[in-house]
Amino acid sequence: MTGTELARRDTRPRWLSGQSTGLRLARHTLTLVALAVVLVPFADLAVVTRDPWSELAQMARGLAWPAWGTVESPLEALGLTVAVALWGTLGGLALGFPLALLFARSRLVRAGCAFVRAIHELFWALLFLQVFGLSAATALMALAIPYAGIFAKVFAEILEQIPAAPRDALPPGVSRLSRFIYAELPLAWTRLAAYTRYRFECALRASVLLGFVGLPTLGFQLETAFREGRYHEAGALLWLFYLLIASLPWWGHRRLIPLLAVGGLFLLAPWPEVSGSLLWRFVSQDIWPPALLAGDWHGVIDWLARIPDLGPAIGNTLLLGLLGSVGALLVALALWPLACRHFGNPATRLAGRGLLLFLRSTPELMLAFLFLLLLGPSLLPAWLALSLHNGALIAFLVARHADAITPGMPAASGVGRFAYELLPRVYPGMLALLYYRAEVILRETAILGMLGVATLGYYIDANFEYLLFDVAFFLLLITALLNIAVDALSRRLRPREVAVIDDPCQR
Amino acid sequence: MSAVLLALEGDDLGHGDQVVLPGLRLGLRHGERVALLGQSGAGKSTLLGELRHRLGEEAAWCPQQHGLVPGLAVYHNVYMGRLAEHSALANLWNLVRPLAEPWHQVAELCDALGLAGLMRRPVGQLSGGQRQRVAIARALYQQRSLFLGDEPVASVDPHQALRLLDLIDARHATSVIALHQRELALTHFDRVWGLRDGRLVIDAPASTLRLADLDALYPDAGGDSAEGEAGGDA
Repeated sequence: MTGTELARRDTRPRWLSGQSTGLRLARHTLTLVALAVVLVPFADLAVVTRDPWSELAQMARGLAWPAWGTVESPLEALGLTVAVALWGTLGGLALGFPLALLFARSRLVRAGCAFVRAIHELFWALLFLQVFGLSAATALMALAIPYAGIFAKVFAEILEQIPAAPRDALPPGVSRLSRFIYAELPLAWTRLAAYTRYRFECALRASVLLGFVGLPTLGFQLETAFREGRYHEAGALLWLFYLLIASLPWWGHRRLIPLLAVGGLFLLAPWPEVSGSLLWRFVSQDIWPPALLAGDWHGVIDWLARIPDLGPAIGNTLLLGLLGSVGALLVALALWPLACRHFGNPATRLAGRGLLLFLRSTPELMLAFLFLLLLGPSLLPAWLALSLHNGALIAFLVARHADAITPGMPAASGVGRFAYELLPRVYPGMLALLYYRAEVILRETAILGMLGVATLGYYIDANFEYLLFDVAFFLLLITALLNIAVDALSRRLRPREVAVIDDPCQR
Repeated sequence: MSAVLLALEGDDLGHGDQVVLPGLRLGLRHGERVALLGQSGAGKSTLLGELRHRLGEEAAWCPQQHGLVPGLAVYHNVYMGRLAEHSALANLWNLVRPLAEPWHQVAELCDALGLAGLMRRPVGQLSGGQRQRVAIARALYQQRSLFLGDEPVASVDPHQALRLLDLIDARHATSVIALHQRELALTHFDRVWGLRDGRLVIDAPASTLRLADLDALYPDAGGDSAEGEAGGDA
């Protein structure tokens, strides 16, 4: 080998060139960020309110000095929130578990599950509101139906991953059911239970949110208090919610669940009188364009022409989804070291964990609602809310993953430890989580429309309000298809060679 | 001569398209106790899998990875050996409350295998040796005339291995057991099958073999012969 050849081989590489996983993922990330930066000018990010800071100060005061006495019947609202979440989860479980067993075999089941998952709980609530009114039935169905789709998919994945050895060891002739209860279910049990637990936590957040469409859970009082500027009362309600989430390990104990379930049934009453003919009319007529039912194709085209231009709404939905994902990535990158045992001191870690807990347990719709009051209606509050909530969620999982790593060079500290020891190990998993999360972010993007952000959800909400069920349902279908398409796209774009962080939040 | 239970006559054995044991010829007779020897990767598990497939319900089966369910109690893991003989409903009820007859039968087996008092313990909490005995108990519980075992005495001490093999012999007329203890193969079995590189290089009565003959099955163990040599004589 000649000297010049040697010299050429040892040339200092240029910026970010090379084929190592870290460098490739870095380029992948920078491309995403660049795309977001290029598209930012198309987003409406104006701050509309005149004095956001004084408003923020008032809210902070409300949170710091909550007015406990002003909250009306807090126990009932809390109880109802828990009852809806519990029975919604149980309903989802009852519907989703049998579907999980068919999931791998039936394309129809997979498609159906993808569809019900793609529509957010709140939209389901809006839909059932038309039939069951403001009742527990609406709340339960709004949770149980999308959760059935989620349980089916996640449980099917878990059951697929159980070891095959016990199944192979069985003598010939064992029936399908016996095989399942002896050699499959016990092996998956802990993971199924852990996921159900996590879903129940999600259901609690969703149950609070149902208050935003008028159901009398905690969210109803919360929204009213915020909207009317009673921040001290709102502060008390928020604290109540955080206490509920934080104390879940105690009151949500396995043995207490049956008791809670039975008690919850009493809170959920009275049940609405559902008229079968009304329900049938809604399903078979109200949600379809009249021209379509009449078989009048010209009429259908006219009907389509009368639907407002959806281009900008779809554009906003996608743009917010992208910006939200990139924002979540940046927030996660900045926040995970705060809660990780390799950095800082016990005090900073406690504060970091508290911050992450606060951000990830506050439902994103609530965060967006707060920012909306602060900054006025534009994409900005939605973007902030999506980035902070999802970023904190990813940061929490990454920090827990990093805690389990023992650095090879204990002497390296600070930036050295971050950049050489930990980030290369956790980043692939972090990016994978983000791509998982992109589907969730897009779903949330749509519901932020209910707050006035000009995404698809805005038009859905508006059309339900005008009782134009056919248009609203059509827009729901579009939203679901958009979600399914983006999910497929993110599956394709997701970097392959990733060490997956065990993620309870997979969808 | 006693009846031939099974004969392979130049069959290709493997998984899917991949042939592991080409052109295999061997016969298994009733009442024979066969030790199956060979390095890991020589094709022992493939051969046992094929025997299991062909013998179907005649054979009790004790797999190498045990195939136990960690979350279920010892009793339930052993009970799984006869899962097919009860209705799904009975199996389901048995999880709620053990059926009386199987409970007594399994208790008897557990006593014989030194697992007394552990029947309600989840298998996940047992030691490696205990798990191995649970796997054997499950195979014995099947009550077949023929025993197929893939290294069933791999992780127990020599003294215990002998005891377990005696138990297996007492309850089965015929057995084929993969082993890595060469001495046991000569002292405790009627016949030895030796696999090397996908070929049956030894098929002889144990009484005609010496330890040195068996060493040929393990070219890597001596350290003096290279791996390449094995390919040369194929």
